[in-house]
Amino acid sequence: MTDQTIQRIASDTPDVAPRFVRRVRGLSDRAITWLFIGPTLAILLAINIFPLIWTVYLSFTNYRANQPGREVKWVGTRNYERLLGSEDIWGYLQATAHFVVWTMVLQVLVGFGLALLINRNFRGASFWTTLILIPMMLSPAVVGTFWTYIYQPQTGIFSYIIDFFAGTGAIDMIGSVTLAPWAIIIVDTWMWAPYIMLLCLAGLRSIPDYLYEAAEIDRANALQKFWYITLPRVLPFLMLAVLFRGIENFKMFDMVVELTSGGPGSTTELASINLKREAFEKWRTGFSSAFAIILFVTVFGLGNIYVKALNKVKS
Amino acid sequence: MAEASLARVTKRFGETLAVDNADLTVANGEFMVLLGPTGAGKTTLLRLIAGLETPDSGKVTIGGSDVTVLAPAMRDVAFVFQQYSLYPHYTVFENLAFPLRAPGRRMGEQAIRKRVSEIAEMLRIGHKLKNKATQLSGGEMQRVSIGRALVREPNVFLMDEPLSSLDAKLREDLRVELKRIQRDLGATIVYVTHDQLEAMTLADRIGILDKGKLVQVDEPRTIYERPATVYAAQRLGSPQINLLPAGRLGLTPGNANAITAGVRPEDVEVGTPSGFDARVIAVERRGAEMIALLEVDGGQQVHALLDAHRPVGEGASLQIAVRPGAPVWFDGKQQLINA
Ligand SMILES: Nc1ncnc2c1ncn2[C@@H]1O[C@H](COP(=O)(O)OP(=O)(O)OP(=O)(O)O)[C@@H](O)[C@H]1O
Ligand SMILES: [Mg+2]
Repeated sequence: MTDQTIQRIASDTPDVAPRFVRRVRGLSDRAITWLFIGPTLAILLAINIFPLIWTVYLSFTNYRANQPGREVKWVGTRNYERLLGSEDIWGYLQATAHFVVWTMVLQVLVGFGLALLINRNFRGASFWTTLILIPMMLSPAVVGTFWTYIYQPQTGIFSYIIDFFAGTGAIDMIGSVTLAPWAIIIVDTWMWAPYIMLLCLAGLRSIPDYLYEAAEIDRANALQKFWYITLPRVLPFLMLAVLFRGIENFKMFDMVVELTSGGPGSTTELASINLKREAFEKWRTGFSSAFAIILFVTVFGLGNIYVKALNKVKS
Repeated sequence: MAEASLARVTKRFGETLAVDNADLTVANGEFMVLLGPTGAGKTTLLRLIAGLETPDSGKVTIGGSDVTVLAPAMRDVAFVFQQYSLYPHYTVFENLAFPLRAPGRRMGEQAIRKRVSEIAEMLRIGHKLKNKATQLSGGEMQRVSIGRALVREPNVFLMDEPLSSLDAKLREDLRVELKRIQRDLGATIVYVTHDQLEAMTLADRIGILDKGKLVQVDEPRTIYERPATVYAAQRLGSPQINLLPAGRLGLTPGNANAITAGVRPEDVEVGTPSGFDARVIAVERRGAEMIALLEVDGGQQVHALLDAHRPVGEGASLQIAVRPGAPVWFDGKQQLINA
């Protein structure tokens, strides 16, 4: 907008503009600051901080959300004691840890590998990049459903390919107690390795050529170049990607529910899936609140340690 | 150490002719400085010697053998890049030791330690050996880059404006130091700069580059006194050489083709008893000396280099003359005419 148009608008609205300006001028800087921060702060309190505190409170009660009329009793730390003493709960946490660790390991390997390949800038590289990124853009529920067909022991392509190369006969990824945890890891890797690739690519693209040229002249071999130049430059990006994905996978729900619904037995019953059952099928609101708090503290603690390490790598 | 040479080397990048049919031989133990403005092809020429670029045509030899298609690692050259090219997450010591640890150059840990600390002392970064490369100032990084080249004893040192990011004092110190090192080692160095003072003080010979062409390769004194072209004349000397059309200031050529006279500012005599009327337009004092910008009748402007204590002030009118025998003459194609 030019000065002239501003003036024109101001003169077109002679009453409103000056009065408004006068009113705003009457406010102190401090008041204006609060005017801007206030709404955000209120929303944050209402939808983030308050529920958190409320959950902490509920975790010490026997509250049930489906029986609003019932008397709410304070039960102290009994929910926590039962949670930490329960073998089942440890099983779900273990399944979650297994899922998070292996998806991260595989996604880092596959994602970094793909990034190194794409970074060679061969012909059609941008086409392949787009193609590789597609899984990431799909809805997790769709991906889950879609892979149940792929994993289908008789008609699915997965079983067919494994059988073709390894001669195993039809394999039932989802129905098998040993294979089901790997089934969800494979799908998550298929879906999210591209994301790791994308961030690694950003790191790789930020490395100037002359660093490699200098190393070349110093007779560095490929491994040394990777170790001295590529890895240090990409590591902050990679670690950030792992942080984002790690937290997401700790809360993994939709894709796994679609694919295995936690089964067979409870082999793929991740913490968040069990939490949903406790809260909205068994309606043990107090108990599941305590579970949620435990998960929150775990993620928060691990996340903080991780961010410290990340900052160390960056500097 | 060895000699290096380019024979009729041409390198294009798409439309740009970065190096145009260059012939250059750098003798064993010689300090060759390539001088030219930005975009002249200095870096490209160095990269061709290093093997980081392959010439479109022509031949590159190092130590007498043809290396035109040889990989950089096999040429045994050291390169100091225009940008500091350090391994960011490693210490200064690791950076300096890296070239000594390369495969095929196995050196004992003790020997590496000794060599690195020698070089670090010389470049005055001995106290920074434990710092990470990212924790250094720009000047320190540049010195580590230079150090990384100096720890080795390669065939040829290639240096691309290594002192450009340092402050004036340090630049002067390192210039002297570099010259001393080069003499001690008998090192062959090809050194790129666009600073004429660096070129004059460091070079055994200077190569003047103009849009990819080597217009003159000679000793600094020779280029200064007998520049092959107007362009070469303008590259050396501060303030720049005065270019005067024949006939001005009583300059008469001895050759019919001579069109332009080049007169160095120190060859313009000011306040002579007889000569041409001139007015002082501006005076610039540089400590021991001063530069006067003079306007002669007819609007011709001339720079003169004078002692600082000469009583010449702005607005003064006086008489000037050109020292006899001083002018060099150029023809219509801006080439030197040999008288
Ligand atoms: N990789 C490249 N791709 C395309 N053009 C290039 C490339 N490298 C150099 N050029 C071009 O070649 C010419 C010479 O470049 P060069 O880097 O050798 O100049 P220079 O003399 O080193 O300049 P400066 O003093 O700015 O470093 C320039 O016109 C430049 O744009
Ligand atoms: Mg350059």
